[in-house]
Amino acid sequence: MKSKLLMILIVAILLVIDMPSVLAQEMTKDQWQQEMSQFTAKRNDLKAKLDKLNSGIKDLQSESTKLNGDFTACNDALLKILGITQAEYDAFMNELIGYESRVNELMRLSDEELLKYRDEILNMSGRVNEMTKHRMALISRINDRLKKLQDNIASLMKTLDKSKTYTVGTWAKDRDCLWNIAKKKDIYNNAWLWPKIWQGNRDKIKNPDLIKPKWVLKIPAGTELTKEEKSAANSYYKKKAAPPAAPGE
Amino acid sequence: MFKFKSKLMIFIAIFAFSTSLFLLGCTSRPSEDELRQLNNLKAEVVSLEKQIADKEKEKANLEKEIAEKNAKLQRCQSDLEAVKKALGQ
Repeated sequence: MKSKLLMILIVAILLVIDMPSVLAQEMTKDQWQQEMSQFTAKRNDLKAKLDKLNSGIKDLQSESTKLNGDFTACNDALLKILGITQAEYDAFMNELIGYESRVNELMRLSDEELLKYRDEILNMSGRVNEMTKHRMALISRINDRLKKLQDNIASLMKTLDKSKTYTVGTWAKDRDCLWNIAKKKDIYNNAWLWPKIWQGNRDKIKNPDLIKPKWVLKIPAGTELTKEEKSAANSYYKKKAAPPAAPGE
Repeated sequence: MFKFKSKLMIFIAIFAFSTSLFLLGCTSRPSEDELRQLNNLKAEVVSLEKQIADKEKEKANLEKEIAEKNAKLQRCQSDLEAVKKALGQ
């Protein structure tokens, strides 16, 4: 009997203690009203914000469409004035991008590795020079890129110039003179480019008719003769053609 | 003495129960419908917040796209001007 009473007492005490939490979990009408007002206001704000966003997006979409039209008109005018088609424009740009990326790759190679790509670099140099004469080069942005590309190719050629050498053999065995060296397939394959070797080795070669065995000559890149090289060659030919000076002169 | 004690205990227990019932019974509570209404409102708010987040993202993307298109157009216009100048037009 005593224990039963004790149990009832404990349950009652627990109920009383637990009452506030039971009450707290269940919402009162006032709280409901308060939350309803709060969420209704929030919903209305959000709806207004969403409407504003939708209208902003609509404006942006029409602006984007207008810009598309403006760009098409500008691009058409540009192509017309350049006298080229879109396909030609794209092809030119792709070629330019291709060369830029290839030159960047080549610039990361060691000097020794670069030698393997001599012909490719020479061809590229020629083609980029042609590209600078294209009407597309009238666009200053493209012209700047072409100039930068030319500079990078020139720097590659400089590296090639530094890298390639030729050791002079004997006349008796190798028939080595500047003309014959330039004529060699692995040098220029063009005897008329001999002044390049002369001008590239002014420190050693004082007289182009006189080169000595075992000299290690630098072989500059085999492009056309430069203005200086041409003028050096002309003065050499003139000297050769002139009658020998009279004794005492 | 023991009888008095047990009677007191019973009295306390009954008092506690009746107090609880009183407290629970006398407070005004919202109906099921009203609670559903509130829940619907909360769900609507959550959905609106999500829609707004999506729209804000869409707006930001559009703004970025427009900035790029503007830059592209300006580049084209300046190219056109440069070419006209170079050709003496």
